Parts: sequence; structure tokens; C-alpha cells
Amino acid sequence: MKYLSPLFLLIGSLFSLNVFADELTDANEIINKANLAAYYSADDGSAQARMIIVDAQGNKQMRQFTILRKDQADLGNQNILVFFSRPTDVNGTVFRVVKKVKNDDDRWLYLPALDLVKRISAGDKRTSFVGAHFFYEDVSGRNPAEDNFTLLKTDDDFYTLKAIPKDKKSAEFDHYIVNISKTTFLPMQVDYYNSQGKKTRSLAVLKTKVIEGFTSVMHSKITQHNDGSYTEMQFRNVKYNLGLPDSIFSERSLRNPPKAWLK
Amino acid sequence: MVKVTTIVFKSIKNLIIIATSFFIAWQGFASELTKNDDDDWGNDDWGEEAISPWRFSGFTEVGYGYLLQDNIVASNASLSEITARINLDYSHQSFEFVSKGELIYDDVISDTYWQTRELNISFSPTESTDIKLGRQILTWGTGDYIFLNDLFAKNWQSFFSGRDDQYLKSPSDSAKGTWYIGNYSLDLTWTPEFTPDVYLTGERFSFYSPQTKGIVAPAEDFHVQQTNNAQWATRIATNKNGVEYALYGYKGFWPTPVGITKNSALQPSPYFPQMNAWGASIRMALAGGLFNVEFSSYSSIEDHEGKDPFIANGQNRFLLGFEREVFKGLTASVQVYVEQTKNHDELVAHSATPETEVDENRQLLTLRLTYTALQQKLIYSLFNFYSPTDKDGYLKPSLTYRYSDQWSFSGGANLFWGDKKHTFFGQHQQNSNAWLRIKVQF
Repeated sequence: MKYLSPLFLLIGSLFSLNVFADELTDANEIINKANLAAYYSADDGSAQARMIIVDAQGNKQMRQFTILRKDQADLGNQNILVFFSRPTDVNGTVFRVVKKVKNDDDRWLYLPALDLVKRISAGDKRTSFVGAHFFYEDVSGRNPAEDNFTLLKTDDDFYTLKAIPKDKKSAEFDHYIVNISKTTFLPMQVDYYNSQGKKTRSLAVLKTKVIEGFTSVMHSKITQHNDGSYTEMQFRNVKYNLGLPDSIFSERSLRNPPKAWLK
Repeated sequence: MVKVTTIVFKSIKNLIIIATSFFIAWQGFASELTKNDDDDWGNDDWGEEAISPWRFSGFTEVGYGYLLQDNIVASNASLSEITARINLDYSHQSFEFVSKGELIYDDVISDTYWQTRELNISFSPTESTDIKLGRQILTWGTGDYIFLNDLFAKNWQSFFSGRDDQYLKSPSDSAKGTWYIGNYSLDLTWTPEFTPDVYLTGERFSFYSPQTKGIVAPAEDFHVQQTNNAQWATRIATNKNGVEYALYGYKGFWPTPVGITKNSALQPSPYFPQMNAWGASIRMALAGGLFNVEFSSYSSIEDHEGKDPFIANGQNRFLLGFEREVFKGLTASVQVYVEQTKNHDELVAHSATPETEVDENRQLLTLRLTYTALQQKLIYSLFNFYSPTDKDGYLKPSLTYRYSDQWSFSGGANLFWGDKKHTFFGQHQQNSNAWLRIKVQF
């Protein structure tokens, strides 16, 4: 099978080139493809990540972690583990998510100093992920079913879509505008607006790289416009189709991280 | 008069020492402020990071707390210490070694001592077995500051004095094995020498004595007969579609000295009577929040029928909890807890002081509010215990500011109140205190 996969990839890319020739006009189809490209590459994956969090005064904080992900189905439920290594006071902290498309996600945080497996309530998806400007939802992916999409325009490089939350109370923004690459389907720029039409928050992809056939985000940045504070996130050691066993996505990995998959 | 002078002198000395360490901490902090690196990522060359199996880290922390009311304990300071923590870990393909220890200068008891917090090795002898041996922190159960099936050692002195939450759990020298079978896990912990809670002795905090019918602070005169027999604890846990189920068992001793020896030849002294327990818990997502329910039944082996006034009766403990985000940044959680004393009629009938015995169903309500601001760097926290049956309570407000990955500042209070001197929280009214901590990580 190993020898076959490059062939499949080749066929796959020829196929996508073909699709590219016919421009898409259905907003939901574009969003589904974007969701696949951004959060469901391959069946599983791992990456090392670091974030630098810069506040309005220029004070910096750093977070470093390794992510393991396995999809139960494309555009379906996912298992995610995040192992923190820096700063030193969060070393050994593990975050576990069962991302559910139809229900609230299940989330746990392991705090090694207390040997405590703390469950986190599901409601607060749009709160900061470990102090960063990224929300939990930005890391694990916002469910497309939460928004209504309209295709605003199509140019040579991007599909530009507008998204309005179905439940306005569920989010702090009024709507967002997303530019999706026509070639890779990765969302490259997302701007969030408040009800006065003012841009409040932006996500920009600064660097991508093709890894094992999947275009992967290597560097991105979220900016808070009211005070200029921001978070940058970088990835390295991005790998796909590792064959991660289902069994590692369990409470066991919180206390006993699966070292073989974290290298 | 001499005594007053000594106390005043000691207080001044305390203040000077602590003020000096705060000053030193502040100096370090100020020099941190003036540092300026141009590159966002600092000098950290992420691409070429050397991977060493050794990992070294630690922190230094200065803490000071003061009793808010007149108390009979020796020191007016409830917390007055400098802690230097060192963590050294080694990661090998087939095992993990963890060591955490700290050197503490504790001015409340005028002592400098070393404390090994963790010293353990963990490995997986088979694909479905994990073993951890040595000094370790053990935790399970679903309660928040309320413990039913978690009978592992707790440090109540730390909890009352405003030390970091991690110190609420006291380590024990144990062997822990976990077996994984399908979606089930079985934990078994064996502590060859029973590890009790770090309970109140009168050294830092006073407490109520039913014998003298008053508040006492015996300190060094509080002689507790130690137990060096083993304690066992076990748990079977599973997770079905996000609903977590667990069953628990315990064989050992009461974690606090709730018995009094009856050997007529010797002075009666407090000791840890035998106790067994079993229980169950469920935790699940519900109504946009988290719901948990837990039960535990304690059997007081040496006083099955509850007739012995010198040994605590068995109990049934019930807990219901719910937590959810109220609005962005604010999370609220409530708990309802009932502690039912078994054979309560017998307890009252045989008690020398029936009027101060606990209610048959002692009720406790808790409320936790956590508000995070400034990108989670500022955390407001409020935890309130309130007992409608004891008519007493315990309020724990705190404020934590994480200035950077190195520096954090926190302050708070432990406020006890109650109508009566003998109730669970009422007896601690004079132990109410306010505290301040500065911590620097490295």
C-alpha cells in the first residue's frame, strides 16, 4: 500500500486540478472543502507547535506543545491530544478533546501537580486557548453548521465568503469574511466584524508547506485590532497518516503520554 | 509583659525577613521589566533544539499571610515562608523518572527544611499495564474541594494558609498499578505505611477540642499515635460516549485522627481508627455544562454500631455538582453535599457532649466563581462553603496575576465564620487570614 499512495496522491492532485478548472459557486461546498483542508488532512497527524502571545504592552509569553489528531470520519468527529512542554510550569499538562460535529465536544485537562483529570465544560468554545488569542475553536475548527455562508466574490486566487452565525448570541462577532485559496482550499485570511461593521479580530496564514501531499499551515497569526495584541503560531515536524491507534486517545495518555508518537 | 515584648519582637523580625524577600523578588521583577528583546521568538532557535532526556526546572516563591483576628496560636503569621523548588526529570524510552523537592524556610515554625514532593519511577511492563513506584501525588473522584472517594492524603494546613492549590494534595509513598482492559481501567494503589492528612495541630491554626469544650492550640503537645500499617485504594473506571463512570474501594484508616485511645495505663491520645469505604461516581456533559454525582460509604471498623464515643461513626457521603460558563470569561459551579452519620441515635446516646455532636445529615453547599480577564492572565476566583445545618461557612477569595511566563503574583484570604465554636468551619473563625505570594519560575 505504501507504494500505491504516491500514485493516489498524483491522481488526487490531477483530479483537484480538474475541479479547479470549473470554479465552484456553492458556498457550502467551498466551506466543506476548506474545513477538510484545514482540519481533516489525512486520517491522522501529528505536529509540534509553539505560540508567542504578545499583549498590548508588548509583553510576551510562550507556549510549546505537541498535537496528535485522529479523524473518526472526514468532516466527522475527531480525537485530539495536546501535550504541553513549555513554559516549565505547564510542562506535563495534557489537553484532550473529543470533537463532535453533532454535540458539544468532550474536553479534559490533566494537571500533573495535582494528578488531576479536570473535565472542562463545553460551553466556552470561544474562550482563549491557554492564554493565546487563538480560541479553542480556532485550534480544533469551528463547526460549519454554526454559520450561514454566502459567496461574496471569486477572483483569481480566492473565494471570498461571508459567514453569519445562526445563533448570534453564541459568538462575540456579528459576522466574518473568509478568503479561501482556490488551489489549496485553505482559509488564508479570516476577518471578524462586530455589529457596527468594525473589524475586531483577524486570522492570517503567513506560511504554508506541502507535506506528504497536504498543504499545511506552518505559521499563522491572530491579531486583536482594538489594542494591537496578537498571537503567532508556528508548526514543525508535521506528519500525516501515522497509523495512530484509537487506544491512545484515552485517559491513559494524560498520565502516561504515548512517547512513541511524540517524537 | 516579657511575653508581649517577645511577640512584638518576633513579629517585627518576621516582617523584616518577609519584606526583604519581597523586595529582592521585586528587584528581580523590575530588572525583568527593563529587559528588551527585539526578536519576537527571543533567542530560542526552535529548529535546532537539542533534545535531552533530562529536564530541569523549578521556582522560587515568597509567601506571607496574617491572621485577621486574635488567636491563641504562637505566631500571628499564618504563612511566612520562602520556597525554592527544584524539579529534575529523566525520560527514557522504557521509563520516566520524576523528582520534585523543595527547600523551605518557614518562619511560622522557625525552621528550614527539605521536602521531597515527588520521587518516582513509572513504566509499562506490558502493553496494557502502567506502574508507578515511589513518592507520588494521587487523586481521583469528582468533587471540587470536597472529597468522598479520594482518601489520599491532603494538606489542610496548606489549604487554610493560602499556599498554591497543588499543596492541598500531600504526597504518599505508594505503588500504583493501572490495568487497561478494553474501555475499562483498573487502578490499585498500595501505601505500605499509612499516610494521613496534614491535619491541624495547633501549631499554625487553632481548633475545637470536645474534651476541653473550647478552642485549643496544643502544637508540640498534640501527640497523635501514628499508624504504620498499609492502606489500599482501588478504582474501576470507564467512559461510554463521554459519560464517565467509576467504582471505588478503600481499606485503611480515617485520614485524620478521629479516634482516642483507651489504654488505661497511658494518657489517652488521638489516633487513626480503621476505616473501609466503597463508592461510585458519574460525570457527564449536560445542559451546556458539566454534571457530576458521587457517593461514598465509610465503615468505621472499630465502631460498627456507633456506640463508641471515642471513635468516629461511619458515614454516607453524597455529592451533586454542576458547572457551566455563565458568560464569556465567567464560570460558575455549584455543589450540594450531604454527610450522613451512620447510627446517629447511638452517637448521641453515648456522647458526653451530645449538644455539640454533628447533625445526622450535615449539609454543605458550595459556589465557585472564576472570572478570567486580560487573556487569562488575571484570574479572579471565589470559592464559598456554606453549611445550613452547621450555620457556618468558609469563603476563599483570590486574585492571581500572571505577569509573564516567569512572574506571577497572587493574593487572597481564608475567611471562616460560624454561630458556634464547635462546628466544622465555625471552630476556625480565629484562623481567618489574608495572604500574598510572589512566584518566579525558571
